[in-house]
Amino acid sequence: MSDEYDNNKSYQAQSSEVLDGSAGSINPDMDYVRPAEIPEQDLYHAHSFIEKWIFCQDAKVIGVQYFLTAVFTGIVGLILSWLMRLQLGFPELAGFMTAEHYYQFVTMHGMIMVVYFLTALFLGGFGNYLIPLMVGARDMVFPYVNMLSFWMFFVAVAVLMASFFVPGGPTGAGWTLYPPQTILEGTPGSGTGILLMLISLSLFVIGFTMGGLNYMITILQARTRGMTLMRMPLTVWGIFTATVLAMLAFPALLVSAIMMTLDKVLQTSFFMPTILKAGEVLEYGGGSPILFQHLFWFFGHPEVYIVALPAFGIVSDLISVHARKNIFGYRMMVWAIVGIGGLSFFVWAHHMYVSGMNPWFGFFFATTTLIIAVPTAMKVYNWILTLWRGNIRINTVMLWCLGFIVTFVNGGITGIFLGNVSVDVPLSDTYFVVAHFHMVMGIAPLMVIMGAVYHWFPLVAGKMLSETLGKWHFWITFLGAYSIYFPMHYLGFIGVPRRYFEMYDSPYMTSTVGMNEFISVAAFIVGAAQFILVFNIIKTLKTGKKAEQNPWKANSLEWYTSTVPPEHGNFGERLPVVHRWPYDFSVPGAKDDFIPQTTAPSEVANTEVEKT
Amino acid sequence: MSEQKIDGFELRPGFKGMASDTGSDQTMFKGVHWGKAMMWIFLLSDTFVFSCFLISYMKGRGSTIVDWPNTSEVFSLYVGGVPVPLLLIAIMTFVLITSSGTMALAVKYGYEKNRKMCGWLILATAVGGLTFVGMQVFEWSKLIHEGVRPWGNPFGAAQFGSFFFMITGFHGFHVSIGVIFLFIYTYKVFAGHYDSKKRGWFTKMKGDYVEIEILGLYWHFVDLVWVFIFAFFYLW
Amino acid sequence: MEETNKMEEPNKQEEQTSTQKIGIYLWIWGLLFVLSFFSYMVDWYQFQGMLRWSLILFFMFLKAGLIMAFFMHLFWERYALVNVLLWPMTAIACFIFLMNAEFQYTLFSRFFYFVVGGA
Ligand code: HEM
Ligand SMILES: [Cu+2]
Repeated sequence: MSDEYDNNKSYQAQSSEVLDGSAGSINPDMDYVRPAEIPEQDLYHAHSFIEKWIFCQDAKVIGVQYFLTAVFTGIVGLILSWLMRLQLGFPELAGFMTAEHYYQFVTMHGMIMVVYFLTALFLGGFGNYLIPLMVGARDMVFPYVNMLSFWMFFVAVAVLMASFFVPGGPTGAGWTLYPPQTILEGTPGSGTGILLMLISLSLFVIGFTMGGLNYMITILQARTRGMTLMRMPLTVWGIFTATVLAMLAFPALLVSAIMMTLDKVLQTSFFMPTILKAGEVLEYGGGSPILFQHLFWFFGHPEVYIVALPAFGIVSDLISVHARKNIFGYRMMVWAIVGIGGLSFFVWAHHMYVSGMNPWFGFFFATTTLIIAVPTAMKVYNWILTLWRGNIRINTVMLWCLGFIVTFVNGGITGIFLGNVSVDVPLSDTYFVVAHFHMVMGIAPLMVIMGAVYHWFPLVAGKMLSETLGKWHFWITFLGAYSIYFPMHYLGFIGVPRRYFEMYDSPYMTSTVGMNEFISVAAFIVGAAQFILVFNIIKTLKTGKKAEQNPWKANSLEWYTSTVPPEHGNFGERLPVVHRWPYDFSVPGAKDDFIPQTTAPSEVANTEVEKT
Repeated sequence: MSEQKIDGFELRPGFKGMASDTGSDQTMFKGVHWGKAMMWIFLLSDTFVFSCFLISYMKGRGSTIVDWPNTSEVFSLYVGGVPVPLLLIAIMTFVLITSSGTMALAVKYGYEKNRKMCGWLILATAVGGLTFVGMQVFEWSKLIHEGVRPWGNPFGAAQFGSFFFMITGFHGFHVSIGVIFLFIYTYKVFAGHYDSKKRGWFTKMKGDYVEIEILGLYWHFVDLVWVFIFAFFYLW
Repeated sequence: MEETNKMEEPNKQEEQTSTQKIGIYLWIWGLLFVLSFFSYMVDWYQFQGMLRWSLILFFMFLKAGLIMAFFMHLFWERYALVNVLLWPMTAIACFIFLMNAEFQYTLFSRFFYFVVGGA
């Protein structure tokens, strides 16, 4: 039922008549697109296996490399979360785990998932693969640096993973790495572990900058003829804005990492106040721990949108394609993405309501935080209005999109709770916050990633993933994720603190034993369910049926390459010329229910297409 | 730069032009080489790095309850037994601005395909940069000799030394990178790589004099940062 | 070894021939020296208080502006580029403004607890 377009049969019949009748009125002027302004890109083709698959300069290969590396770190993060849930749900089975281990797992899980998994996957993975294809470029503008970007990331991951094996283990300071405890003795991994973490983060920032410059400039300076900014798919808009945020937010992370490294190695006191330890004054003194928090969150809040915006963009495209309708309010969507991006630099201290910062800040940051909810809500309305009366195909991709919308609304609403100082103060550092950010930046973007994988796999590999397995994967993940995070809201309300190794013998903690066991079981199942996708991919690569070109009948340029999967240079002899936005679905009067971006206006002269 | 033409596109001035450039296809920055745009965005990002350093410095210096050393005295040099405040810093500023000027002219001659002039001016810039780094080494060793350390100093708040070494160190690092590239480009200009459009050693891209302007942007940026460091760290 | 793409077209990008007059660079160069000299004089004459800070900032912004506008050619660039580069500075301005408030509060609490409150 999912892949049929019965409703369009009638359109097709009508429109072919209409077109026939209009043959005389074709006007070549209306197809005019001004000539090329930039010279053809001078591509360097690989000559050897190493240049083709390892130190490769083709953005598509780099995208896949990023994707696989990020998924590898993601699996490490997943295993860590299993270990934590084992401890929380069934401590008697987790005898091998000490409190120190638990802190280290929390920290590494958080940092891996936010930075090395989601950021790298969305920007490095999807960004590299899709940007040149979607804007009609042959490759990124500076392929060599793009290649270096991946290898920097690779080294950063290697350094991060190395910290598991050094004496003292990885840092256990929480992914926020708050000083002074991060580098003081007594915190797990306060020796080599934290150093490796800081080095790895710095390498990540440097590597990312190399890639990010490419993403931005390719979008700004290397689009194909006819591709205006307002004709770009929202995927590109999301990734672009997220990249801008990254370019401006990562500097704060880099600076805080450098300063903390100096505090650790050279005994400077940037972040270290005067500290009494067992009656003795440490050598540190006069620094400001709260400065670190400001720097960290000046990076940290934009970071959550670095993860969210590409997801917003991708999901908009997926919904539009699979509901066979143009995205509702395209311009509003673009402005919302840009507006959220801009505002995200003015809200950071809503993570610091209980930190002891200047008390007036609460007012400022609560206001800006709540303002961000406006463009965010507009996007949600627009997704729903896109679905409204659409010709929805309930396939795996659409299921992930629908899952995303509910999950995101859920997490967004708890965000509004937390944005208010007086509500946040009791909820801070409880499981309520854990539930909030997992809903909004964990599960929701993950659902988009899954949808995107099912959507673009036919392009990347030329084969269709199994729908049956996909639906199993979706339903287990969706129901399971809600089983995990819904109860956590409640745990937060009764006051269970986050980052605790065990639920001590206080009355409200003991009352949660059953719930914690339930959550843990759900977590094991959801984690295991992700391997359905791995299985699906392996099976499909071996035995899957070959995908036709453009199996979803989409309009954007990535589906109109010379070969599937696209080769180096993407578009064969001639670059495509763009005449419209990518959302001309179910246009009244058109022959098919979709009009590719490359279709000239004269070919669809008598249809009611939007002017874009 | 000024009078350029783009096929089939009207370049309008001012904010109207900004709107039509942004709304057009292919490029947003009309007539700007992608590499130059890339350098600009990188510098924007780097501006955020230095801003974060300087903001941290403001926060650190502002909230310490120990007195901040008097920079005018700490950075003075004795000339014939008389202390001249900030003398070395003044000379360093002079050197850096000089090198910025030679760089600007190198870019100009590069675009005019005046290979010799361009090469000599880049070389002069590189030498200026090297002198700057040399003087910074002198300044650092003098302060270290006087007991200033990243973790403490005899003149006042411990954060003074921390911020000093970190910020000037990071700036000096930028200068050093710039000097290395300046020497490489000197060679490439004199060897005629930009006239013959010879491909880069690693990037395999065709050489073009626009690369001189790109390097120039970086070099001026380093000078720009120094203007702020000079004002906030040394004079304030 | 160096093989080019066969899809290559004749290089269309117009050669950038029109450059600025040399005079303008020399002028800016000179001005930068003069302004640096002035800001040095602020310290030499040991101006203090508001006068010192406003002069330091004035000369600093003037110098920065000259370097950006003429040496880095922003004056001749199109508004699209100029605006893209300058608007993000509002985030920095906000950060500066708030950290200014923050250090005063930290200083206040340090005095309050360490000196006045004296444990
Ligand atoms: C309507 C929009 C949102 C609002 C009003 C909001 C508000 C908040 C607030 C006030 C906190 C701090 C809670 C505390 O620590 O006590 C918070 C935490 C968090 N939020 Fe949001 N948020 C929103 C959307 C998002 C989005 C879209 C993401 C990510 C994609 C996100 C990710 C996070 C994360 C990761 C944390 C926890 C950080 C930590 O302390 O470890 N939020 N949110
Ligand atoms: Cu936030």
